[in-house]
Amino acid sequence: MKNRLKILRAERDWNQQDLAAALGVSRQSVNAIETGKYDPSLPLAFRISDLFGLPIEAIFLRD
Amino acid sequence: MYDSRSSASYMRRYRLRIMLFLTSYVIILISNLTFARNGAEHSQATLIGLALTTAFPIIGMFWAIFRLLVEIDDEYQRLLFAKQTLWATGITLAIVTVWQFLNVYEVVATGPQWMGVIWLAMLGISAPIVRWKA
Repeated sequence: MKNRLKILRAERDWNQQDLAAALGVSRQSVNAIETGKYDPSLPLAFRISDLFGLPIEAIFLRD
Repeated sequence: MYDSRSSASYMRRYRLRIMLFLTSYVIILISNLTFARNGAEHSQATLIGLALTTAFPIIGMFWAIFRLLVEIDDEYQRLLFAKQTLWATGITLAIVTVWQFLNVYEVVATGPQWMGVIWLAMLGISAPIVRWKA
């Protein structure tokens, strides 16, 4: 699944480690999600949504 | 905010448990083998006791590994570790299957042995396979 995580992160001037720390996951996990290697669970997707203040569908896009 | 210590804590507990069981295994194995081969006649019950106490630390290592799967609070890391255990299981089953047929066709004298140890070794080998490009 494609996502806008990298763009949203860059807009806030966060690196992957900053985002990982805010989400409570490893930097490797953030990288896997950003590059589309891993689709997060719904609870993690909601945490990402809450963090950016955007609905899930504004962050994760249908293929 | 993410407490970076919490992600490290499950790995710290895992490493501690593995080290404890591994150290126990070496000590118990050497002690039990020395006792078993001291030239004296041992009863069946004693030999069973020696076998069980030697097996216990290996079983402990299995427990520590599967306990880690429960304790990992990072879902992607949990997925990678679950894949690692599946790879280890698959490779071990393949080795054991080939070994068994080598024994059936009398190429080797004994059938599959030390499967627990093989699985643990394959778990180590599986780590870079799973995490490569992860």
